[in-house]
Amino acid sequence: MKKLVIIGAGMASGRALERLIDADPEAYDVTLFNAEPRGNYNRIMLSPVLSGEKSYAEIVTHDDDWYAQNNVTCRFGEPVTGIDRDRKVVIGTKGEVPYDKLLIATGSAPFIIPVPGHDKPGVIAYRDLDDTNAMINAADAPGKSAVVIGGGLLGLEAAAGLALRGMSVTVIHLMGHLLERQLDPAAGYLLQKDLEKRGIKVHCQGATKAILGEDRAEAVLLEDGTVYDADLVVMAVGIRPETRAATDAGLDVGRGISVDAQMVTSDPDILAVGECVEFDGQLFGLVAPLYDQAKVVAATLLDQPAAFTPKELSTKLKVTGCDLFSAGDFADGEGREDIVFRDPSRGVYKRLVIEDDQLKGAVFYGDTSDSNWFFGLIRDGEDISDMRETLIFGPAYQGGSPVDPLSAVAALPRDAEICGCNGVCKGQIEDAIAGGATDLGAVRAITKASGSCGTCTGLVEQVLSVTLGDDFKMPAAQSICGCTDMTHEDVRRMIKSQELKSMPAVWQECGWKTSCGCHICRPALNYYLLADWPLDYKDDPQSRFINERKHANIQKDGTFSVVPRMWGGMTNPAELRAIADAAEKYNVPTVHVTGGQRIDLLGVKGEDLPAIWADLNKAGLVSGHAYSKGLRTVKTCVGTDHCRFGTQDSTGLGIKLEKKLWGSWTPHKVKLAVSGCPRNCAEATCKDIGVVCVDSGYQIGVGGAAGMDVKETERLADAATEEDAIELATAFMQLYRENGKYLDRPYKWIAKVGLDWVKERVVDDLESRKALVERFELSQSIYRTDPWAEHVKERAESYQPLANLTLEAAE
Amino acid sequence: MMDTVLDAAARTFIQVTEVWVPQDGKLVLASGNYGDLDAFKAASGKESFAKGEGLPGKAWADARPVVLKGFENSYFKRAEAAKEAGLTSGVAIPVFAGDELKAVLTVLCGDDDERIGAIEVWTEADGVLKLDDGYYGAAKQFEWVSQHTQFPRGQGLPGGVWAASTPMLMRDLGSGYKFIRAESAGKAGLTTGLGLPVPVPGGDVFILTLLSALGTPIARRFEIWDARAATMGHSNEAVLIDGICEREGKLWDDENPRRATAWQGRIGRVLGSGQPVVESDGAGLPAGYASIVALPIHVGGALSHIVAWYR
Repeated sequence: MKKLVIIGAGMASGRALERLIDADPEAYDVTLFNAEPRGNYNRIMLSPVLSGEKSYAEIVTHDDDWYAQNNVTCRFGEPVTGIDRDRKVVIGTKGEVPYDKLLIATGSAPFIIPVPGHDKPGVIAYRDLDDTNAMINAADAPGKSAVVIGGGLLGLEAAAGLALRGMSVTVIHLMGHLLERQLDPAAGYLLQKDLEKRGIKVHCQGATKAILGEDRAEAVLLEDGTVYDADLVVMAVGIRPETRAATDAGLDVGRGISVDAQMVTSDPDILAVGECVEFDGQLFGLVAPLYDQAKVVAATLLDQPAAFTPKELSTKLKVTGCDLFSAGDFADGEGREDIVFRDPSRGVYKRLVIEDDQLKGAVFYGDTSDSNWFFGLIRDGEDISDMRETLIFGPAYQGGSPVDPLSAVAALPRDAEICGCNGVCKGQIEDAIAGGATDLGAVRAITKASGSCGTCTGLVEQVLSVTLGDDFKMPAAQSICGCTDMTHEDVRRMIKSQELKSMPAVWQECGWKTSCGCHICRPALNYYLLADWPLDYKDDPQSRFINERKHANIQKDGTFSVVPRMWGGMTNPAELRAIADAAEKYNVPTVHVTGGQRIDLLGVKGEDLPAIWADLNKAGLVSGHAYSKGLRTVKTCVGTDHCRFGTQDSTGLGIKLEKKLWGSWTPHKVKLAVSGCPRNCAEATCKDIGVVCVDSGYQIGVGGAAGMDVKETERLADAATEEDAIELATAFMQLYRENGKYLDRPYKWIAKVGLDWVKERVVDDLESRKALVERFELSQSIYRTDPWAEHVKERAESYQPLANLTLEAAE
Repeated sequence: MMDTVLDAAARTFIQVTEVWVPQDGKLVLASGNYGDLDAFKAASGKESFAKGEGLPGKAWADARPVVLKGFENSYFKRAEAAKEAGLTSGVAIPVFAGDELKAVLTVLCGDDDERIGAIEVWTEADGVLKLDDGYYGAAKQFEWVSQHTQFPRGQGLPGGVWAASTPMLMRDLGSGYKFIRAESAGKAGLTTGLGLPVPVPGGDVFILTLLSALGTPIARRFEIWDARAATMGHSNEAVLIDGICEREGKLWDDENPRRATAWQGRIGRVLGSGQPVVESDGAGLPAGYASIVALPIHVGGALSHIVAWYR
């Protein structure tokens, strides 16, 4: 009988052995080496063993009896120290074994990030039963904490298992969303939400800097300075093929052991299978291709024809209650189209990616029914043009309705706040409807919902519609864009009441019809999110118009204009000299003095922007935000310093206001002016906020315009002191930021909510005014910075001419 | 694997299991397993419960699982017959599909110094799960520990069920693994734990756990079937996602899971009717088993899972 030696008793070699014995039990005398002191078990079921949902006994594939019955000589717990190809022997720590054929199935080794402290006790990888037991033992007392580094399949399964064992678990993930190789951001959001429901903290975009601790791991330090306590640190950042035995034996090894389609290595008597191999440039980590390889190995060993062909793979996560599926390629690309289905009430997201009438990829979360059918369509490359319209509903589609636009509102809990002005929850509106209120007026009369600023009207109507069904006729409302049926106001209320703090959260919970929004909704959502959650939400440059992304106004010839800020319209010789020098150095063709008392350098090349900004920064000049939906200019007259008619220090107030308000983002641009007397040289009465100084103090006007519409300001309040004037202007600005519809200038917004509503909050209610100012300051703690300086420091390369313009969301 | 010597005659933790279903405004007996308690069986067959009446009626009226320890001088209607049968405690589990009551499952037990096990009802208070009440037989120390344990979302069997909204089956509760309460579970001889959500109208959170000991097992075989549309589509089928059996070992198969179709077999009947099944005639049950309890769980008004246990 020929002698077969196998190195490694994992799932791939185990399956190969089964196939071989089934086909011809007399073909080989088999010796099986395994470094682990045990035979073949179902390694992918270690996660349920960790969580306690399976026992080790249940996941044993081949027990002692099986090996005995099949005459397999087991050398378990004995590492192989060498392969002598000349003598055709495998050398174990307890002696040599000769072979006619050798099968290398050494699997993979976990990758350990070489950060300081990675070798401390308490830092483990997650690969085998011993690691699993180490984790179980670490959870031996209440109140212990674990950090899992790596938000891939293995890391998340470890996190869920450790949480179930009673540990407080944090997952650190380098990328922007979990399972980024398997899921898109929308599905990643739902997964993160599901894990957070299990008490697991998720930190994305977190880079590990060091493992801290005296004698053992005690905490994990991230690059951003965050520290998480950790009695246990699990590194689950990836695996690499274990190729040492093959390399030492002189076999061809690339990233893995090189094999041909018959699974034969560069030595015709040595085969390899599983995670240790490289075939056609590919490595293999999931079980399905390993089993395919095992089949080929058995055939090759029996001199039968067979060839391994890699196939499409699908992913499932073994965390009880998390239903996800992904297959194929779902990256965005030219010629690709999405079909998206969301059901916020059930936490369902389904996305199909189609190209050339074929299904290329699928990502499902919360509903994985029919996933095998979709997988088949991807794998077989079937033409789906005939069923395109109903494809997302699966094979059993029988005329079901598409996404119900009301599902997001139907999904809201009873305690979700609908009317922010009057603190009315969905439950109170439902109770009013149950009590006989069947239209908006009646609900408003009973609950006061939508009775103040009115921006929640759409949501109240939707609650009426959800509750009354056909008995309520929904008035047609203008949705933000084709991605959603919700209005700006509806979405804004949802962002606040449901504490939606990321774009994927808004898309999912508001039932967006596209996978990641469009050039219309993304800038609006970006604004709403940063305005409502300044500390939690990170501004997304890809969701901004090009001017805001580049921090300069693009001109019709593709060049840009650069406008430095001149506080209150004041400047000095040094600033003017710096501007003149910059204009000369960068060949600026046009220098223009603007209506807002600034100097505009027109015709700057895109690639010169960081350099010209750096030069201007050196002279103390910062961005004038002449491109932004934010504070533009504060125009002043010279006031009491120089003017015979001046009543107050209008330039001083203008500078103070500008220094207070600059950098903040608003629904649309905001222009200010301060005039020193009613002669109004600074034209304050046609600005968004205009202050006119009088002998008795300051008249604060708001809602002026001098563009397509020309409109005089309306008086918000009179202030006796400069401090009051600044506070009133700031509170108004914040109220507008919190309630204005994106791209509504203040005058349009005031026309909707009414000046009285604004006055109540900004002028009459001192507590409210104070709170508005505090919230504004909180936001400014993030945004009162010079974007030019930041871009010069961190993003200069993005201004190079070869920038990838296909990623630009807008304009 | 799992070559435990079976003792079919071992005393059971649960002595009586009944299914009560609504009919003409009352709960009537649909099926039951009474073992050899014939007199109690006869007394039960004549009984019916209005809403709020007796143990099943109380679970219906209160829309929540109810634990009743000590039948004498209580609202338990069959106290006399229970006393004669040696039954002292009971748990009633309502099965709601949305607002509609589909059935009430009652389990009745007798106290002595030997019966070890636990039937627990956990409920959410202040963001964590606390023990609402439970029946533990002679596992008094474990009962004390449970009364003084609380589970955050995602932790332990009750917290895991709560977070995942799905039944879960835990192995080796006390042996070798550091399950929360493991030490006392081990001392009490508890081995397998089945946890399941009990959805009720109004949205209060209730989690039921059945913790089984080797000596006086609640069951020797447990199964969890997934029937959600989110996984099964509109196939009218359920798939066995987890299960363990003292005779057959593991019942789950991640490559080729078992399937059940509506109205075919016991699980199929639960799938079709949405109501629990309790049977003790043995016909058609897995080899070596004489009785089955199969309990449906409805989430959002739709059948979500079926849990089954066999003896």
